[in-house]
Amino acid sequence: MNHPKTKIINAPLNRVEGDLEIRVRLEDDRVSEAWSVGVMFRGIENMLKNRGPLDGLVITPRICGICSTAHLTAAAKALDAISGAEVPANAIVVRNLALMAEHVQSDMRHGFLMYMADFANSAYSKRPLYDEAVKRYEPFKGKTVIDVIKRTKEILEMVAIFGGQWPHSSYMVPGGIASNPNMNDIMQCKYLIDKFASWYEKRILGCSLQRWLNVQNGADLDAWLDESESHHNSELGFFIRYARDIGLDKIGQGHTNFISFGQLDLPENSKVMGRSQNSHFLIPAGFARNTEIEPFDQKKIFEHVAFSWYADDNGGKHPFSGETHPYATGEESEKYSWTKAPRYDGAPAETGPLAEMIISGHPLFTDLVNTTGSSAFVRELARLTRPAELIPAMKQWIMELNPQEKFYAHSPDITDGEGFGLTQASRGALGHWVSISDKKIVHYQIITPTAWNGSPRDADSIRGPWEEALIDTPVKDSENPVEIGHVVRSFDPCLVCAVHAIQGKKENIWKI
Amino acid sequence: MSHNAKKRIVCVGNRYRPEDSAGPMVYDQLVSDRLPRDIEVIDGGLAGLNLLRFIHGADRVVFIDAVNGFGPSNGVIVLDAKDASRHADTIFGHSAGLSYCLRVLPEVHDGKLPEIFVVGIEGTTDPDIILKAASMSLKIAAEGYSLK
Repeated sequence: MNHPKTKIINAPLNRVEGDLEIRVRLEDDRVSEAWSVGVMFRGIENMLKNRGPLDGLVITPRICGICSTAHLTAAAKALDAISGAEVPANAIVVRNLALMAEHVQSDMRHGFLMYMADFANSAYSKRPLYDEAVKRYEPFKGKTVIDVIKRTKEILEMVAIFGGQWPHSSYMVPGGIASNPNMNDIMQCKYLIDKFASWYEKRILGCSLQRWLNVQNGADLDAWLDESESHHNSELGFFIRYARDIGLDKIGQGHTNFISFGQLDLPENSKVMGRSQNSHFLIPAGFARNTEIEPFDQKKIFEHVAFSWYADDNGGKHPFSGETHPYATGEESEKYSWTKAPRYDGAPAETGPLAEMIISGHPLFTDLVNTTGSSAFVRELARLTRPAELIPAMKQWIMELNPQEKFYAHSPDITDGEGFGLTQASRGALGHWVSISDKKIVHYQIITPTAWNGSPRDADSIRGPWEEALIDTPVKDSENPVEIGHVVRSFDPCLVCAVHAIQGKKENIWKI
Repeated sequence: MSHNAKKRIVCVGNRYRPEDSAGPMVYDQLVSDRLPRDIEVIDGGLAGLNLLRFIHGADRVVFIDAVNGFGPSNGVIVLDAKDASRHADTIFGHSAGLSYCLRVLPEVHDGKLPEIFVVGIEGTTDPDIILKAASMSLKIAAEGYSLK
């Protein structure tokens, strides 16, 4: 009888915000089991208790230096809800533009500085496109790396113009924004958007936004790639060719459940329209099993801690009743992560640009998931092309700002009550659930994108999304398990946000 | 928001993590006092690669950050950009900080590079150390520093 060759590897993922360890069991050089371990305790929820209601606007943007605007957005929306504040159209647009600037920057940096860095891994030195990958992605020198850093540092000037600083700005307040942009500010932002859009079309797509938006299915994608040298050799074209060559379209499928909290409120009388006619967001909220979309209801969200180092009801609690009590005595047997396990209607769900595309009904991504299935390739393709979804709206919204109109409407006092602020961070669904009593925060729970994607098992022992996506991944060299990095990084992990600082024990390390 | 001063002090770190809070503590110290008109003090927080924004257009930039392994514990040291970036992670990550930023700076900066110094705080953040780092950073921003 032949027994499978079994090996456990423990792989800390550097190039992840905060610390993440992936433990996998290999059988016959394929992943047969996976555990996602968040090795840091965050505890920001507990820091917020007994503080003033507005303190979330200052503290939560400092959870992370990458998703700062997203946390501010969620915190402000929660307070809008509690106070009943009406947010003027101008303020909605400024909030949207700031968040979109953060997204397009993050998408480019993740794609070309973090994800494609693995394309220059020595594991691929014999592949035909390897030398070109090194020219593009070599650390500190690759021509794409340098270009992306130069261009992406500019677009976030928008947030600094609107909010005084980035990251960690706190200019969104209940009832609008605390700044009053003038026409000069607006024109500066328009210039930054136009400059980024022009670079994105020329360098990343190799075509106009309109040409790219005509790609409606997998056959269109193949035709687009072969249509011209500029498509073939663009950053997107190179990504598609390289990813297919190394088989990224065949790994990392996962549960194929998708969740989006919805983002970018559509103000009244705006000419901007989303793909979904029934949503008041540019990017709609929803939950999808494969590509079957269900209406979203935040009451269906529960966080499990059966395998997380917390003391609470293992079976899961809604974030309005969930607690953050660390419980790591060394006697907890099954628990293995500081990340909780959020579930929607009892199911794990991945979030991020691909989930946004599916729930928006984007024809290309709906077709790809229906025909070839989800994969690391499809997930990363969604991220690299999300700016094409956002830039047209950014161009329209900046022109709809009217400095003669108000950016802030007087907000009623924040009385006792509870509310939630839901949005999409660059990596996916982000929610803040807040309760105020006696003008103090008595309860604050945050669920981040990486809590969804990198969750451990739930009370039913169902794996989290990237744990599931790793199953059956072939690993050619356990000393250089680059394939594991491809799968996990296709979710764009951000552990500082996800875990609720303790340095984990690092033994038997294989760096990915 | 543009930064107009030609001499800048950029304080880097996370005020909610004690081992990384030295920069923000020096920021609080500096802004609690009257500053020279030609020196701008900036809360760099966790800006990471976006610290590049604070370098553009400057003649001299002094970064303040917690450091580890550069000198004796419980002290303040001064490094140039090359020394400070020597141990940068070779590949970018979300947590890429000042060292990555300084390492890539010569490749991505347009125009003449400003003088760059890093005032590193090794170990403790007791009030005397913070005061010393604040005072040194002001002097270096105003006059420069010889590392010989």
